Amino acid sequence: MTRLAISGVALATLALLSAGPAGAHHSFAMFDPTKVVVLDGAVKEFSWTNPHVSIRIMVKPKAGGEPELWTVELTSPGNLTRAGWTRTTLKPGDAAEVSIHPLRNGEHGGGFVKLKTASGQIFVGGSPGPQQGVS
Amino acid sequence: MPLRPSLSAVLTVLGVLLQAAPAPAAELLPSTPAPTAKDWASLASLPDWSGTWVPDMRDQGLQETSNPPPWTPSVAAEMRQAEAEEASGAPRGLFINCLPEGMPSWMLISHNAMEILFTPGQVTLLGESDGNRLRRIYTDGRPHPADPDPSFHGHSIGHWEGDTLVVDTVAILPETFIALSESVGAPNDGDMHIVERIHLAGPGVLHDDLEITAPHALSRTWKTTRVFLRHRLVRDAISEGVCLQGLFAESKDKAGHAVFIPVPQDSGGNVAPKGQ
Repeated sequence: MTRLAISGVALATLALLSAGPAGAHHSFAMFDPTKVVVLDGAVKEFSWTNPHVSIRIMVKPKAGGEPELWTVELTSPGNLTRAGWTRTTLKPGDAAEVSIHPLRNGEHGGGFVKLKTASGQIFVGGSPGPQQGVS
Repeated sequence: MPLRPSLSAVLTVLGVLLQAAPAPAAELLPSTPAPTAKDWASLASLPDWSGTWVPDMRDQGLQETSNPPPWTPSVAAEMRQAEAEEASGAPRGLFINCLPEGMPSWMLISHNAMEILFTPGQVTLLGESDGNRLRRIYTDGRPHPADPDPSFHGHSIGHWEGDTLVVDTVAILPETFIALSESVGAPNDGDMHIVERIHLAGPGVLHDDLEITAPHALSRTWKTTRVFLRHRLVRDAISEGVCLQGLFAESKDKAGHAVFIPVPQDSGGNVAPKGQ
């Protein structure tokens, strides 16, 4: 099932998982942290590149019509690696559910919040907290 | 018969001329002596700062709001404007040109990890992002140069007070930002002086206590602390981070060579959703 669901308010659990502003390259303030959009579609491109990894995903609008291309910005490959990602976490053609904070200007882009893969794996981004057991 | 000087005669004359020029007094130029076995062994008595140090983002955010820089009145007004633009979703892009965050912003706002290397006479900080994130802190007792070349990270000398590395940094480019985020910050405008006390504050926790004096941007010396958390997984090691790479996509040229081609960015510096 392909869907595009927009929540008008911040979801507390997703906010906690949010990558937040990432990397040195640019601010993430162009994304609206009070909104979460869930993009359910097929990955067109997974760009594992500094300073920001990006996902391009084809999403079928809830209202119907042709699939639309959305661009999602994430933090850096280094930070994502520390969060358990690899450059092959996503491949073109993969089904994926990507939660984002959408661009405030209404264009089809957003800042990454959470990924749920077709197999049900959950990935988040951002700098990790303390590594347990490390002194 | 025309006079044709022989090759040996020419070389002789050249040799005389070269000898006449004052030769650089190599013995007068500063040099770094080869480290001795004792120098290497003495590193073992330093505190263990191995591993990968990840900035504590939660604390970073708290510091930014609870202990902001004491801006000069005119800079404070500019920062209020920058914060309003950030809050409205139209952030200034302080670093979208991919120039290094530099000092002190690397320490203040980085979201990326660093590692710290000890070698005789030097502590080296290596970081992700910027493409060239590197600080050299000389601990061999040398002073700052009389007229150092300004740079993004400045010239740093340090010494150990117990298990605390005390670092003194000058010669930072005036364009380098004192930043609170990627979109709020002011150029230091020159004459900035930073003193840091870097030390372990607990198991796996490193503190950088900074004292930043920037007479053209701050009304007084700003004291603030940033916290870094140790990680030891192999995957946690810092990785190459060439900022400019994000402006390009991998492609092929007409000859089939692998090449980079520019990709469009929007004014905020993120990959443009349009024209895909």
